[in-house]
Amino acid sequence: MTSRVSQKHPDLSVEIAGIHMKGPLIAASGTFGYGTEYLELADYEAIGAIAVKGLYLEPRDGCRPPRIWETPSGMLNAIGLQEVGIKRFLDEKLPRLRELQKSILVNICGSSVEEYGELARLLDNVEGISGIEMNISCPNVHEGGILFGCDPDMAAYVTEVVRKATSLPVIPKLSPNVTDIAAVARKVESAGADAVSLINTMPAMAIDVETRKPRLANVVGGLSGPAIRPIALRLVYQASQVLSIPIIGIGGISSHEDVLEFVLAGASAVQIGTMGFVDPAVWRRTLDGLSDYCRRHRVHALRELTGGIIADVTAVPPGW
Amino acid sequence: MIRDESVELVERQALSSDAYLLHFRSESLFESFEPGQFTMVRLPEVPEFLLRRPYSFCDADSEGRFSLLVKEVGRGTRALARLPLGTDVSCLGPLGSAFALPSPEHTPVIVAGGVGIAPFVAFSRALHRDGRRGIVLLGGRSRSDLYLQEVFKALDMDVRCATEDGSYGRKGLVTDLLNEAFGDARLPALYSCGPSSMLRRVAEIARPLSVPHEVSLERRMGCGMGCCLGCVVYVRTKEGVSEYVRSCSEGPVFEADAVCWEHDPYPL
Repeated sequence: MTSRVSQKHPDLSVEIAGIHMKGPLIAASGTFGYGTEYLELADYEAIGAIAVKGLYLEPRDGCRPPRIWETPSGMLNAIGLQEVGIKRFLDEKLPRLRELQKSILVNICGSSVEEYGELARLLDNVEGISGIEMNISCPNVHEGGILFGCDPDMAAYVTEVVRKATSLPVIPKLSPNVTDIAAVARKVESAGADAVSLINTMPAMAIDVETRKPRLANVVGGLSGPAIRPIALRLVYQASQVLSIPIIGIGGISSHEDVLEFVLAGASAVQIGTMGFVDPAVWRRTLDGLSDYCRRHRVHALRELTGGIIADVTAVPPGW
Repeated sequence: MIRDESVELVERQALSSDAYLLHFRSESLFESFEPGQFTMVRLPEVPEFLLRRPYSFCDADSEGRFSLLVKEVGRGTRALARLPLGTDVSCLGPLGSAFALPSPEHTPVIVAGGVGIAPFVAFSRALHRDGRRGIVLLGGRSRSDLYLQEVFKALDMDVRCATEDGSYGRKGLVTDLLNEAFGDARLPALYSCGPSSMLRRVAEIARPLSVPHEVSLERRMGCGMGCCLGCVVYVRTKEGVSEYVRSCSEGPVFEADAVCWEHDPYPL
Protein backbone atom coordinates (compact mmCIF):
# COMPACT_ATOMS: atom_id res chain seq x y z
CA MET A 1 0.00 0.00 0.00
CA THR A 2 2.67 2.46 1.08
CA SER A 3 4.72 1.77 -2.00
CA ARG A 4 1.74 2.32 -4.29
CA VAL A 5 1.11 5.71 -2.69
CA SER A 6 4.71 6.71 -3.18
CA GLN A 7 4.50 5.55 -6.79
CA LYS A 8 1.55 7.85 -7.30
CA HIS A 9 3.33 10.82 -5.78
CA PRO A 10 7.06 10.36 -6.21
CA ASP A 11 9.08 12.28 -3.66
CA LEU A 12 10.80 15.13 -5.51
CA SER A 13 11.93 16.96 -2.39
CA VAL A 14 15.59 17.60 -1.84
CA GLU A 15 17.77 18.83 0.96
CA ILE A 16 20.83 20.91 0.19
CA ALA A 17 23.05 21.88 3.09
CA GLY A 18 20.12 21.63 5.50
CA ILE A 19 17.83 23.65 3.22
CA HIS A 20 14.68 21.65 2.60
CA MET A 21 12.97 22.21 -0.76
CA LYS A 22 9.72 20.71 -1.99
CA GLY A 23 11.24 20.22 -5.41
CA PRO A 24 14.68 20.32 -7.04
CA LEU A 25 14.12 23.37 -9.25
CA ILE A 26 15.75 26.64 -8.16
CA ALA A 27 15.36 29.99 -9.93
CA ALA A 28 18.88 30.99 -10.98
CA SER A 29 20.46 34.21 -9.78
CA GLY A 30 20.31 37.04 -12.30
CA THR A 31 17.37 35.56 -14.17
CA PHE A 32 14.61 35.91 -11.60
CA GLY A 33 15.12 39.46 -10.35
CA TYR A 34 14.38 39.84 -6.69
CA GLY A 35 11.88 37.00 -6.80
CA THR A 36 8.52 38.65 -7.36
CA GLU A 37 8.76 39.68 -11.03
CA TYR A 38 7.19 36.46 -12.35
CA LEU A 39 4.30 36.25 -9.87
CA GLU A 40 1.66 36.80 -12.57
CA LEU A 41 3.11 34.18 -14.84
CA ALA A 42 5.16 31.37 -13.30
CA ASP A 43 3.82 28.57 -11.11
CA TYR A 44 5.71 29.34 -7.91
CA GLU A 45 4.47 26.08 -6.36
CA ALA A 46 6.79 24.29 -8.77
CA ILE A 47 9.81 26.35 -7.69
CA GLY A 48 11.79 24.89 -4.80
CA ALA A 49 13.92 27.93 -4.00
CA ILE A 50 14.82 31.32 -5.41
CA ALA A 51 18.37 32.65 -5.84
CA VAL A 52 18.14 36.44 -6.05
CA LYS A 53 20.16 38.77 -8.27
CA GLY A 54 23.76 39.13 -7.11
CA LEU A 55 24.28 41.80 -4.46
CA TYR A 56 27.17 44.00 -3.46
CA LEU A 57 27.32 46.29 -0.43
CA GLU A 58 26.54 49.29 -2.65
CA PRO A 59 24.21 49.69 -5.67
CA ARG A 60 25.82 49.31 -9.09
CA ASP A 61 24.99 50.67 -12.56
CA GLY A 62 26.26 47.65 -14.46
CA CYS A 63 27.67 47.67 -18.00
CA ARG A 64 26.76 50.03 -20.79
CA PRO A 65 24.29 48.61 -23.33
CA PRO A 66 24.16 46.71 -25.61
CA ARG A 67 24.14 44.05 -22.94
CA ILE A 68 22.65 40.99 -24.59
CA TRP A 69 22.90 39.08 -27.85
CA GLU A 70 21.47 35.82 -29.05
CA THR A 71 23.73 33.08 -30.40
CA PRO A 72 22.67 29.62 -31.60
CA SER A 73 20.69 28.13 -28.70
CA GLY A 74 22.40 30.57 -26.39
CA MET A 75 22.16 33.96 -24.78
CA LEU A 76 25.22 36.14 -24.47
CA ASN A 77 25.09 38.76 -21.74
CA ALA A 78 27.23 41.37 -20.11
CA ILE A 79 24.92 43.00 -17.59
CA GLY A 80 27.75 43.67 -15.19
CA LEU A 81 25.72 43.10 -12.05
CA GLN A 82 23.39 46.09 -12.04
CA GLU A 83 21.87 45.74 -8.58
CA VAL A 84 20.34 47.72 -5.71
CA GLY A 85 22.88 47.03 -2.97
CA ILE A 86 22.38 45.00 0.19
CA LYS A 87 20.58 47.71 2.16
CA ARG A 88 17.83 48.34 -0.35
CA PHE A 89 17.49 44.59 -0.83
CA LEU A 90 16.91 44.02 2.86
CA ASP A 91 14.63 47.06 3.29
CA GLU A 92 12.61 47.00 0.06
CA LYS A 93 12.89 43.66 -1.71
CA LEU A 94 13.16 41.02 1.00
CA PRO A 95 9.85 41.76 2.80
CA ARG A 96 7.81 40.96 -0.34
CA LEU A 97 10.00 38.03 -1.24
CA ARG A 98 9.64 36.57 2.26
CA GLU A 99 5.86 36.58 1.89
CA LEU A 100 6.19 33.91 -0.81
CA GLN A 101 7.47 31.50 1.86
CA LYS A 102 10.10 30.05 -0.44
CA SER A 103 13.62 29.12 0.44
CA ILE A 104 15.71 32.15 -0.46
CA LEU A 105 19.34 31.99 -1.53
CA VAL A 106 21.02 35.36 -1.48
CA ASN A 107 23.72 35.63 -4.12
CA ILE A 108 26.62 37.82 -2.95
CA CYS A 109 29.44 39.43 -4.90
CA GLY A 110 32.43 41.42 -3.83
CA SER A 111 35.19 43.54 -5.24
CA SER A 112 37.33 42.34 -2.37
CA VAL A 113 37.42 39.36 -0.03
CA GLU A 114 36.39 41.68 2.81
CA GLU A 115 33.24 42.68 0.94
CA TYR A 116 32.13 39.04 0.71
CA GLY A 117 32.73 38.68 4.45
CA GLU A 118 30.83 41.86 5.28
CA LEU A 119 27.85 40.82 3.15
CA ALA A 120 27.78 37.40 4.82
CA ARG A 121 27.79 39.07 8.24
CA LEU A 122 24.91 41.37 7.26
CA LEU A 123 22.84 38.41 6.09
CA ASP A 124 23.50 36.21 9.10
CA ASN A 125 20.37 35.77 11.22
CA VAL A 126 18.17 37.71 8.78
CA GLU A 127 14.72 36.15 8.89
CA GLY A 128 13.68 34.29 5.76
CA ILE A 129 17.10 33.73 4.24
CA SER A 130 18.02 30.10 3.79
CA GLY A 131 21.50 30.29 2.40
CA ILE A 132 24.24 32.29 0.74
CA GLU A 133 25.34 31.66 -2.81
CA MET A 134 28.75 33.20 -3.45
CA ASN A 135 29.25 34.60 -6.92
CA ILE A 136 32.93 34.02 -7.56
CA SER A 137 32.41 33.45 -11.25
CA CYS A 138 30.82 36.47 -12.94
CA PRO A 139 32.71 37.10 -16.19
CA ASN A 140 31.42 40.68 -16.59
CA VAL A 141 32.88 42.61 -13.68
CA HIS A 142 36.43 43.82 -13.75
CA GLU A 143 37.32 43.36 -10.13
CA GLY A 144 36.49 40.30 -8.04
CA GLY A 145 34.00 37.97 -9.66
CA ILE A 146 35.64 35.40 -11.88
CA LEU A 147 39.11 36.33 -10.63
CA PHE A 148 38.25 34.66 -7.33
CA GLY A 149 36.66 31.63 -8.94
CA CYS A 150 39.43 30.73 -11.38
CA ASP A 151 42.15 30.29 -8.82
CA PRO A 152 41.57 27.34 -6.46
CA ASP A 153 43.43 28.90 -3.53
CA MET A 154 41.67 32.24 -3.93
CA ALA A 155 38.29 30.49 -4.20
CA ALA A 156 39.06 28.61 -1.02
CA TYR A 157 40.15 31.74 0.81
CA VAL A 158 36.96 33.68 -0.05
CA THR A 159 34.87 30.66 0.95
CA GLU A 160 36.67 30.44 4.27
CA VAL A 161 36.08 34.14 5.00
CA VAL A 162 32.37 33.82 4.24
CA ARG A 163 32.16 30.56 6.21
CA LYS A 164 33.53 32.31 9.30
CA ALA A 165 31.18 35.27 8.91
CA THR A 166 27.90 33.39 8.88
CA SER A 167 26.05 30.42 10.27
CA LEU A 168 24.01 30.15 7.05
CA PRO A 169 24.78 27.45 4.49
CA VAL A 170 27.52 28.70 2.13
CA ILE A 171 27.32 27.77 -1.55
CA PRO A 172 30.08 29.01 -3.88
CA LYS A 173 28.93 29.35 -7.51
CA LEU A 174 31.81 28.11 -9.61
CA SER A 175 33.08 29.15 -13.01
CA PRO A 176 33.35 26.78 -15.96
CA ASN A 177 36.41 28.73 -17.03
CA VAL A 178 38.95 26.55 -15.22
CA THR A 179 41.38 23.85 -16.26
CA ASP A 180 40.55 21.51 -13.41
CA ILE A 181 37.11 21.87 -11.84
CA ALA A 182 37.85 19.02 -9.43
CA ALA A 183 40.71 21.01 -7.92
CA VAL A 184 38.53 24.11 -7.33
CA ALA A 185 35.66 22.00 -5.99
CA ARG A 186 37.89 20.09 -3.57
CA LYS A 187 39.44 23.32 -2.28
CA VAL A 188 36.15 25.10 -1.58
CA GLU A 189 34.79 21.98 0.10
CA SER A 190 37.70 21.84 2.49
CA ALA A 191 37.35 25.59 3.08
CA GLY A 192 33.89 24.94 4.51
CA ALA A 193 31.46 25.14 1.58
CA ASP A 194 28.17 23.35 2.29
CA ALA A 195 27.37 22.84 -1.39
CA VAL A 196 28.48 24.19 -4.77
CA SER A 197 26.53 25.67 -7.68
CA LEU A 198 27.91 25.03 -11.13
CA ILE A 199 28.17 26.45 -13.64
CA ASN A 200 28.04 30.21 -14.09
CA THR A 201 28.02 31.52 -17.67
CA MET A 202 30.82 30.61 -20.08
CA PRO A 203 32.98 33.57 -21.17
CA ALA A 204 32.17 34.21 -24.84
CA MET A 205 31.72 36.90 -27.48
CA ALA A 206 30.18 37.84 -30.84
CA ILE A 207 31.01 40.47 -33.48
CA ASP A 208 28.83 42.41 -35.92
CA VAL A 209 30.81 42.05 -39.14
CA GLU A 210 28.96 44.93 -40.84
CA THR A 211 30.14 47.47 -38.27
CA ARG A 212 33.16 45.43 -37.06
CA LYS A 213 32.01 46.14 -33.52
CA PRO A 214 31.44 43.65 -30.74
CA ARG A 215 27.79 42.77 -30.12
CA LEU A 216 28.23 43.67 -26.44
CA ALA A 217 29.53 47.00 -25.17
CA ASN A 218 31.64 45.03 -22.70
CA VAL A 219 33.13 43.16 -25.70
CA VAL A 220 33.19 39.85 -23.81
CA GLY A 221 30.20 38.43 -21.97
CA GLY A 222 28.86 35.22 -20.51
CA LEU A 223 27.05 32.55 -22.54
CA SER A 224 24.03 30.77 -21.09
CA GLY A 225 21.24 28.57 -22.39
CA PRO A 226 21.14 25.12 -24.02
CA ALA A 227 24.35 25.92 -25.93
CA ILE A 228 26.39 25.39 -22.75
CA ARG A 229 24.42 22.47 -21.29
CA PRO A 230 26.77 19.63 -22.31
CA ILE A 231 29.72 21.60 -20.92
CA ALA A 232 27.91 22.20 -17.64
CA LEU A 233 26.97 18.54 -17.43
CA ARG A 234 30.57 17.44 -17.87
CA LEU A 235 31.71 19.84 -15.14
CA VAL A 236 29.03 18.64 -12.72
CA TYR A 237 30.07 15.06 -13.43
CA GLN A 238 33.75 15.78 -12.85
CA ALA A 239 33.09 17.74 -9.66
CA SER A 240 30.84 14.99 -8.34
CA GLN A 241 33.70 12.49 -8.63
CA VAL A 242 35.62 14.30 -5.90
CA LEU A 243 32.96 15.99 -3.73
CA SER A 244 30.96 14.75 -0.81
CA ILE A 245 28.93 17.98 -0.50
CA PRO A 246 25.85 18.42 -2.74
CA ILE A 247 26.02 19.98 -6.20
CA ILE A 248 23.45 22.32 -7.71
CA GLY A 249 23.64 21.90 -11.49
CA ILE A 250 23.09 24.88 -13.80
CA GLY A 251 23.28 25.33 -17.56
CA GLY A 252 20.50 25.63 -20.14
CA ILE A 253 18.07 23.31 -18.38
CA SER A 254 14.67 23.40 -20.06
CA SER A 255 12.99 20.03 -19.45
CA HIS A 256 12.80 17.12 -17.04
CA GLU A 257 15.22 15.16 -19.23
CA ASP A 258 17.76 17.93 -18.78
CA VAL A 259 17.25 17.88 -15.01
CA LEU A 260 17.66 14.11 -14.95
CA GLU A 261 20.91 14.31 -16.90
CA PHE A 262 22.32 16.65 -14.26
CA VAL A 263 20.98 14.52 -11.42
CA LEU A 264 22.45 11.34 -12.89
CA ALA A 265 25.75 13.16 -13.37
CA GLY A 266 25.79 13.98 -9.66
CA ALA A 267 23.57 17.01 -8.97
CA SER A 268 21.15 17.06 -6.04
CA ALA A 269 19.20 20.03 -7.35
CA VAL A 270 19.31 22.29 -10.39
CA GLN A 271 18.80 25.91 -11.31
CA ILE A 272 16.83 27.19 -14.28
CA GLY A 273 17.65 30.60 -15.70
CA THR A 274 17.63 31.51 -19.37
CA MET A 275 14.94 28.99 -20.24
CA GLY A 276 12.60 30.67 -17.78
CA PHE A 277 12.79 33.74 -20.05
CA VAL A 278 11.86 31.65 -23.05
CA ASP A 279 9.12 29.63 -21.42
CA PRO A 280 7.71 30.78 -18.07
CA ALA A 281 5.79 27.47 -17.89
CA VAL A 282 9.11 25.60 -17.63
CA TRP A 283 8.73 25.15 -13.84
CA ARG A 284 5.46 23.23 -13.78
CA ARG A 285 6.16 21.35 -17.01
CA THR A 286 9.57 20.19 -15.75
CA LEU A 287 8.36 19.20 -12.30
CA ASP A 288 5.45 17.21 -13.76
CA GLY A 289 7.87 15.58 -16.18
CA LEU A 290 10.05 14.49 -13.27
CA SER A 291 7.05 12.94 -11.51
CA ASP A 292 6.13 11.05 -14.66
CA TYR A 293 9.68 9.80 -15.10
CA CYS A 294 9.86 8.60 -11.50
CA ARG A 295 6.58 6.75 -11.88
CA ARG A 296 7.65 5.12 -15.14
CA HIS A 297 10.96 4.03 -13.67
CA ARG A 298 9.53 3.11 -10.25
CA VAL A 299 11.75 5.63 -8.52
CA HIS A 300 10.33 6.51 -5.10
CA ALA A 301 12.42 9.59 -4.51
CA LEU A 302 14.27 11.66 -7.07
CA ARG A 303 17.26 12.02 -4.76
CA GLU A 304 17.94 8.27 -5.16
CA LEU A 305 19.07 9.08 -8.70
CA THR A 306 21.80 11.56 -7.75
CA GLY A 307 25.05 10.28 -9.24
CA GLY A 308 23.16 7.34 -10.72
CA ILE A 309 24.88 7.40 -14.09
CA ILE A 310 25.88 3.93 -15.24
CA ALA A 311 29.30 4.66 -16.62
CA ASP A 312 29.70 1.18 -18.11
CA VAL A 313 27.89 1.56 -21.43
CA THR A 314 27.79 -2.19 -21.95
CA ALA A 315 25.85 -2.78 -18.72
CA VAL A 316 22.12 -3.56 -18.94
CA PRO A 317 20.12 -0.84 -17.18
CA PRO A 318 17.98 -2.01 -14.24
CA GLY A 319 14.44 -2.90 -15.20
CA TRP A 320 15.26 -3.77 -18.82
CA MET B 1 -2.85 40.48 -16.31
CA ILE B 2 0.19 39.16 -18.16
CA ARG B 3 -0.45 35.90 -20.01
CA ASP B 4 1.50 33.53 -22.21
CA GLU B 5 -1.07 32.83 -24.88
CA SER B 6 -0.95 30.50 -27.84
CA VAL B 7 -2.20 32.48 -30.83
CA GLU B 8 -2.72 31.34 -34.42
CA LEU B 9 -1.21 33.11 -37.41
CA VAL B 10 -4.24 33.64 -39.64
CA GLU B 11 -3.12 36.21 -42.20
CA ARG B 12 0.04 37.65 -43.64
CA GLN B 13 -0.25 40.99 -45.35
CA ALA B 14 2.81 42.08 -47.33
CA LEU B 15 3.54 45.79 -46.85
CA SER B 16 6.76 45.80 -48.90
CA SER B 17 9.32 43.27 -50.11
CA ASP B 18 10.52 42.65 -46.56
CA ALA B 19 7.82 43.93 -44.17
CA TYR B 20 4.63 42.18 -43.21
CA LEU B 21 1.63 42.73 -41.05
CA LEU B 22 1.04 39.41 -39.30
CA HIS B 23 -2.48 38.86 -37.99
CA PHE B 24 -3.03 36.46 -35.11
CA ARG B 25 -6.24 35.05 -33.69
CA SER B 26 -6.18 35.24 -29.91
CA GLU B 27 -8.36 34.56 -26.92
CA SER B 28 -7.63 37.61 -24.81
CA LEU B 29 -4.47 39.43 -25.94
CA PHE B 30 -6.34 41.35 -28.66
CA GLU B 31 -8.44 43.16 -26.08
CA SER B 32 -6.08 43.36 -23.15
CA PHE B 33 -3.30 45.62 -24.43
CA GLU B 34 -3.05 49.39 -24.44
CA PRO B 35 -1.43 51.24 -27.36
CA GLY B 36 2.32 51.30 -26.84
CA GLN B 37 2.50 47.99 -24.98
CA PHE B 38 4.33 45.03 -26.47
CA THR B 39 4.42 41.26 -26.60
CA MET B 40 7.32 38.78 -26.46
CA VAL B 41 6.94 36.38 -29.38
CA ARG B 42 8.45 32.92 -29.28
CA LEU B 43 9.64 31.53 -32.60
CA PRO B 44 8.21 28.05 -32.86
CA GLU B 45 10.12 24.91 -33.86
CA VAL B 46 13.43 26.69 -34.18
CA PRO B 47 15.53 25.96 -31.09
CA GLU B 48 18.46 27.86 -32.55
CA PHE B 49 16.49 31.09 -32.12
CA LEU B 50 16.35 30.84 -28.38
CA LEU B 51 14.99 34.12 -27.12
CA ARG B 52 11.60 35.65 -27.65
CA ARG B 53 11.36 38.80 -29.77
CA PRO B 54 9.63 41.95 -28.53
CA TYR B 55 7.00 43.49 -30.82
CA SER B 56 4.73 46.44 -30.13
CA PHE B 57 1.08 45.59 -30.61
CA CYS B 58 0.14 47.23 -33.90
CA ASP B 59 -3.61 46.91 -34.08
CA ALA B 60 -6.57 44.77 -33.01
CA ASP B 61 -10.11 44.23 -34.15
CA SER B 62 -13.18 43.25 -32.19
CA GLU B 63 -13.18 39.72 -33.57
CA GLY B 64 -10.24 38.44 -31.61
CA ARG B 65 -7.41 39.35 -33.96
CA PHE B 66 -4.35 41.46 -33.29
CA SER B 67 -1.50 42.34 -35.61
CA LEU B 68 2.26 42.80 -35.40
CA LEU B 69 4.45 44.60 -37.91
CA VAL B 70 7.42 42.37 -38.70
CA LYS B 71 10.32 43.48 -40.87
CA GLU B 72 12.95 40.99 -41.97
CA VAL B 73 16.22 42.27 -40.57
CA GLY B 74 17.93 39.00 -39.72
CA ARG B 75 17.42 35.27 -39.67
CA GLY B 76 15.07 35.24 -36.68
CA THR B 77 12.77 37.94 -38.03
CA ARG B 78 12.80 36.21 -41.42
CA ALA B 79 11.73 32.93 -39.79
CA LEU B 80 8.90 34.73 -37.99
CA ALA B 81 7.76 36.65 -41.07
CA ARG B 82 7.60 33.46 -43.15
CA LEU B 83 5.80 31.17 -40.72
CA PRO B 84 3.10 29.15 -42.48
CA LEU B 85 -0.44 30.35 -41.91
CA GLY B 86 -2.12 28.26 -39.22
CA THR B 87 1.03 28.10 -37.08
CA ASP B 88 0.47 28.52 -33.35
CA VAL B 89 2.81 31.04 -31.78
CA SER B 90 3.33 31.73 -28.09
CA CYS B 91 2.91 35.41 -27.23
CA LEU B 92 3.64 36.81 -23.79
CA GLY B 93 1.93 40.02 -22.81
CA PRO B 94 0.72 42.64 -22.64
CA LEU B 95 3.97 44.08 -21.34
CA GLY B 96 5.41 47.48 -20.52
CA SER B 97 4.10 51.00 -20.38
CA ALA B 98 1.55 52.54 -22.78
CA PHE B 99 1.15 55.92 -24.48
CA ALA B 100 -0.99 58.35 -22.52
CA LEU B 101 -3.79 59.88 -24.60
CA PRO B 102 -3.25 63.64 -24.88
CA SER B 103 -5.46 65.95 -22.86
CA PRO B 104 -8.40 67.46 -24.87
CA GLU B 105 -6.70 70.78 -25.54
CA HIS B 106 -3.68 69.10 -27.15
CA THR B 107 -3.36 67.95 -30.77
CA PRO B 108 -1.45 64.70 -31.09
CA VAL B 109 1.52 64.82 -33.47
CA ILE B 110 2.92 61.37 -34.22
CA VAL B 111 6.42 60.97 -35.67
CA ALA B 112 7.39 57.54 -36.92
CA GLY B 113 10.29 56.11 -38.87
CA GLY B 114 9.94 52.77 -40.69
CA VAL B 115 8.52 50.01 -38.49
CA GLY B 116 8.31 52.56 -35.65
CA ILE B 117 4.84 53.20 -37.01
CA ALA B 118 3.55 49.95 -35.46
CA PRO B 119 2.24 51.11 -32.05
CA PHE B 120 0.55 54.17 -33.56
CA VAL B 121 -2.14 52.25 -35.42
CA ALA B 122 -3.78 51.14 -32.18
CA PHE B 123 -3.03 54.57 -30.70
CA SER B 124 -4.73 56.37 -33.61
CA ARG B 125 -7.67 54.00 -33.33
CA ALA B 126 -8.05 54.96 -29.67
CA LEU B 127 -7.92 58.65 -30.64
CA HIS B 128 -10.48 58.07 -33.37
CA ARG B 129 -12.80 56.32 -30.93
CA ASP B 130 -12.74 59.51 -28.84
CA GLY B 131 -13.47 61.64 -31.92
CA ARG B 132 -9.94 63.06 -31.85
CA ARG B 133 -7.78 63.90 -34.86
CA GLY B 134 -4.07 64.29 -35.17
CA ILE B 135 -1.11 64.59 -37.49
CA VAL B 136 1.00 61.58 -38.48
CA LEU B 137 4.47 62.19 -39.87
CA LEU B 138 5.93 59.14 -41.61
CA GLY B 139 9.53 58.87 -42.66
CA GLY B 140 11.67 56.32 -44.45
CA ARG B 141 14.48 55.88 -46.91
CA SER B 142 12.10 55.48 -49.80
CA ARG B 143 8.44 55.01 -50.59
CA SER B 144 8.49 51.31 -49.71
CA ASP B 145 9.39 52.15 -46.08
CA LEU B 146 6.18 54.09 -45.50
CA TYR B 147 3.69 51.61 -44.14
CA LEU B 148 -0.05 51.69 -43.51
CA GLN B 149 -0.77 55.25 -44.70
CA GLU B 150 -4.29 54.30 -45.77
CA VAL B 151 -5.07 52.94 -42.31
CA PHE B 152 -4.18 56.25 -40.69
CA LYS B 153 -6.17 58.17 -43.30
CA ALA B 154 -9.20 55.98 -42.60
CA LEU B 155 -8.82 56.97 -38.95
CA ASP B 156 -9.04 60.65 -39.96
CA MET B 157 -5.40 61.35 -39.29
CA ASP B 158 -3.59 64.01 -41.30
CA VAL B 159 -0.78 61.93 -42.84
CA ARG B 160 2.39 63.67 -44.10
CA CYS B 161 5.38 61.83 -45.51
CA ALA B 162 9.07 62.36 -46.13
CA THR B 163 11.49 60.07 -47.92
CA GLU B 164 15.24 60.44 -48.07
CA ASP B 165 15.33 59.63 -51.79
CA GLY B 166 12.35 61.83 -52.59
CA SER B 167 10.34 58.92 -54.03
CA TYR B 168 7.29 59.98 -52.03
CA GLY B 169 6.25 63.10 -50.10
CA ARG B 170 8.82 65.67 -49.08
CA LYS B 171 12.42 64.81 -49.95
CA GLY B 172 14.37 64.71 -46.73
CA LEU B 173 14.01 63.52 -43.18
CA VAL B 174 10.76 63.15 -41.28
CA THR B 175 12.09 65.65 -38.75
CA ASP B 176 11.97 68.30 -41.54
CA LEU B 177 8.16 68.07 -41.32
CA LEU B 178 8.08 68.70 -37.61
CA ASN B 179 8.10 72.50 -37.37
CA GLU B 180 5.33 72.85 -39.92
CA ALA B 181 3.24 70.31 -38.00
CA PHE B 182 3.84 72.22 -34.78
CA GLY B 183 2.59 75.36 -36.57
CA ASP B 184 -0.60 73.59 -37.71
CA ALA B 185 -1.38 71.92 -34.42
CA ARG B 186 -2.65 74.11 -31.65
CA LEU B 187 -0.82 72.91 -28.55
CA PRO B 188 0.93 69.86 -30.00
CA ALA B 189 1.57 66.72 -27.94
CA LEU B 190 4.31 64.66 -29.49
CA TYR B 191 4.60 60.87 -29.79
CA SER B 192 7.58 59.23 -31.48
CA CYS B 193 8.96 55.82 -32.35
CA GLY B 194 11.63 54.81 -34.83
CA PRO B 195 15.40 54.73 -35.35
CA SER B 196 17.52 56.15 -32.53
CA SER B 197 18.99 58.99 -34.59
CA MET B 198 15.49 60.15 -35.57
CA LEU B 199 14.17 60.00 -32.00
CA ARG B 200 17.10 61.96 -30.73
CA ARG B 201 16.60 64.68 -33.38
CA VAL B 202 12.87 64.86 -32.62
CA ALA B 203 13.66 65.30 -28.93
CA GLU B 204 16.17 68.05 -29.72
CA ILE B 205 13.56 69.97 -31.71
CA ALA B 206 10.72 69.48 -29.24
CA ARG B 207 12.53 70.16 -26.02
CA PRO B 208 13.16 73.93 -26.35
CA LEU B 209 9.50 74.34 -27.34
CA SER B 210 8.34 72.52 -24.17
CA VAL B 211 6.15 70.21 -26.23
CA PRO B 212 5.05 67.20 -24.16
CA HIS B 213 6.76 64.24 -25.77
CA GLU B 214 6.44 60.50 -25.25
CA VAL B 215 8.85 58.17 -26.99
CA SER B 216 8.76 54.40 -27.47
CA LEU B 217 12.26 52.94 -27.37
CA GLU B 218 13.02 49.69 -29.09
CA ARG B 219 15.65 47.68 -27.29
CA ARG B 220 16.93 44.16 -27.52
CA MET B 221 15.19 42.22 -24.75
CA GLY B 222 15.87 38.86 -23.16
CA CYS B 223 12.84 38.31 -20.98
CA GLY B 224 10.41 41.23 -21.22
CA MET B 225 9.62 40.67 -17.54
CA GLY B 226 12.19 42.90 -15.91
CA CYS B 227 14.63 40.17 -14.90
CA CYS B 228 17.48 39.94 -17.41
CA LEU B 229 18.36 43.68 -17.33
CA GLY B 230 19.43 43.44 -20.96
CA CYS B 231 17.17 46.22 -22.28
CA VAL B 232 18.15 49.14 -20.08
CA VAL B 233 17.92 52.82 -21.01
CA TYR B 234 19.77 55.58 -19.17
CA VAL B 235 17.21 58.06 -17.80
CA ARG B 236 17.02 60.94 -15.34
CA THR B 237 14.56 59.99 -12.63
CA LYS B 238 12.19 62.41 -10.89
CA GLU B 239 14.62 62.48 -7.97
CA GLY B 240 17.19 63.98 -10.32
CA VAL B 241 19.55 61.02 -10.45
CA SER B 242 20.45 59.24 -13.66
CA GLU B 243 20.27 55.47 -13.82
CA TYR B 244 19.66 52.50 -16.04
CA VAL B 245 16.01 51.48 -16.08
CA ARG B 246 14.40 48.61 -17.94
CA SER B 247 12.72 49.45 -21.24
CA CYS B 248 10.53 46.35 -20.80
CA SER B 249 9.15 47.41 -17.43
CA GLU B 250 9.60 51.14 -16.87
CA GLY B 251 9.24 51.55 -20.69
CA PRO B 252 9.10 51.05 -23.62
CA VAL B 253 7.19 54.37 -23.55
CA PHE B 254 9.18 57.06 -21.74
CA GLU B 255 8.88 60.80 -21.23
CA ALA B 256 11.38 61.93 -23.84
CA ASP B 257 12.80 64.59 -21.51
CA ALA B 258 13.90 61.90 -19.08
CA VAL B 259 15.97 59.97 -21.63
CA CYS B 260 19.71 60.68 -21.55
CA TRP B 261 20.24 60.63 -25.31
CA GLU B 262 23.96 61.20 -25.00
CA HIS B 263 24.16 57.72 -23.45
CA ASP B 264 22.36 56.13 -26.36
CA PRO B 265 24.27 53.01 -27.31
CA TYR B 266 22.92 52.90 -30.86
CA PRO B 267 24.08 56.18 -32.45
CA LEU B 268 23.09 55.13 -35.98
